[in-house]
Amino acid sequence: MEPWKIMQPSFAAKYVGYLVPALNNIGKQASPSVDRCIDTEKIVRYEINMALALSAEGFAWSHALKHKLRPNVDNHNHAGKSQSYLAHDDDHRNTIPVNHEPAAKKLKVDPKRSETEAAEEEEERLTYLRKLIPGGSGEMMVDDEILLSELGSYVSCLELQVNVLRSMLQFN
Amino acid sequence: MNRALPEMLPCSDMTVLQRQRARLKWQAEQFQQQSYFCELSGVFTSQNVHVQGFQQGGLVSGCGGGDSVLSNMEMTRQLKPDPGLEAAWPELGKVDMGFGSCGYGNGPSFDMNHAISRTSSCPPAVAAAAVEVKGNAEKMGSAVGRESFKKRKVEKLQNSKVVAEDESKRIKASEEEEEESKITGPNTNKITNHKKENSGDTSKDNSKVSEVQKPDYIHVRARRGQATDSHSLAERVRREKISERMKYLQDLVPGCNKITGKAGMLDEIINYVQSLQRQVEFLSMKLATVNPRLDFNIDNLYAKEEFPSCTTNFPTVGMAPEMANHSPYLQFNPIQQVVSGCGVEMGMGMGMNSSDMALRRTISAPVSIPDASFLNTTCFTGPQQQIQPSAPWEVELQNLYNVAFTDTIEESDLKMEM
Repeated sequence: MEPWKIMQPSFAAKYVGYLVPALNNIGKQASPSVDRCIDTEKIVRYEINMALALSAEGFAWSHALKHKLRPNVDNHNHAGKSQSYLAHDDDHRNTIPVNHEPAAKKLKVDPKRSETEAAEEEEERLTYLRKLIPGGSGEMMVDDEILLSELGSYVSCLELQVNVLRSMLQFN
Repeated sequence: MNRALPEMLPCSDMTVLQRQRARLKWQAEQFQQQSYFCELSGVFTSQNVHVQGFQQGGLVSGCGGGDSVLSNMEMTRQLKPDPGLEAAWPELGKVDMGFGSCGYGNGPSFDMNHAISRTSSCPPAVAAAAVEVKGNAEKMGSAVGRESFKKRKVEKLQNSKVVAEDESKRIKASEEEEEESKITGPNTNKITNHKKENSGDTSKDNSKVSEVQKPDYIHVRARRGQATDSHSLAERVRREKISERMKYLQDLVPGCNKITGKAGMLDEIINYVQSLQRQVEFLSMKLATVNPRLDFNIDNLYAKEEFPSCTTNFPTVGMAPEMANHSPYLQFNPIQQVVSGCGVEMGMGMGMNSSDMALRRTISAPVSIPDASFLNTTCFTGPQQQIQPSAPWEVELQNLYNVAFTDTIEESDLKMEM
């Protein structure tokens, strides 16, 4: 957590530094076409995620995100994945309401429930969180402690990212 | 040798040390077998072991079992029976042997609530008796079958929940317990932080902590009334770390202050992460539609930053407004890009042809990651006062700066003065 606090201030600057030129490059590419609109979205999404991964070096999730976006030659698992983690997460997102509500309802259960039930609930939520964070299911984040630390930095980065994107669009 | 200590030994470290040394020998044997725990359990079960006393005394010990997970654990046991004093004491004497129901090596940090400090209150008679008992205890220890150790551990756990006994007993027990034996296990390393934590927690404990510590020993203490086996110690440490992280997340995620309980917190975190991801997705889509226009005004924006007279020297760029020279700008190309990117829309329609020159200069300059500290400190040195919005876009840039950076950096930057 401490390293993240040190990195935080430079994150926004780095992020913009990565993203803006990338976006500019998109604008200068091939002539517009119908398909390009869709592609642009994907490309933009890709660049956004890439900027996120590059601006927050040193975290397991950023590493995993980078690999997801830029599959390495030797990493066959990622070979066919979509470039956008968001697209990947769409599946999860769609299932979110379904999966999540039962968990939410469990909270209303008798507080005297046994410890094992509570532990199971927590486990359930933790596995859910693992799906949300890039690399959460990987080997780096098997430990709960590490998962929670990574979550902290990931959430901060997401917030910063949203702020930057919002301000970029604000004066449109 | 310690047994040779004759007269009344004042409760002192010396006594403790000596006792410890004496015990080390036979303890080492038992540890190596890692059946340590089994040994004494039998002994204790048969007796009314006031295990609580031991636990209170902060039996801590990481058994340096070979298979202990945390290599940093060190075993410290408290041996100290004082059978002479009371009936219960003989048991204590035996307890010391194995007491190590210590956690083995899993990096536990126990907080000993009581401690060793109690020893100081022991009457000399106790000490004398302790010496004798010690001798007996050691003999017993060796004689005790290893098999009983596990039982003892169980019993100790049970006893830990027993209501505190009377004070005198505890005080005496504590004296006995204070002695710690250092046990070397295959994986012992030294952890001193726990000790320091403990000392912070309990003033009493510090005094009796054995000073004779080999570099590879780690003292861990169990809280009063808590189990002291290595597994639970490790568990406890892990839980503490996890709760610490959860607190951090609680600060991070808005609206979590009122939520207690891990499950609820995790729920909130899940919701928050999902909402953030959705926002990013949404913003990216928006950005994609805007994108074609982005490159229009970047030139303009770049150019503007180059003008020394422009107050674009601008906080957004992270530079103190009073800096007129260009060199800082060149260092902050990424930031300049920020401005340009962000202000692209603002620059729309502002044809500043002269900016082309400046733009090229900017583009050719090496891009370097701006110094975070510089950016942060200057950003907050009154950007608002120093900016004179001479142009409408400057105002927007200023706003942009505030929006983009205030939220995101407010906490960390202000505190950071690198």
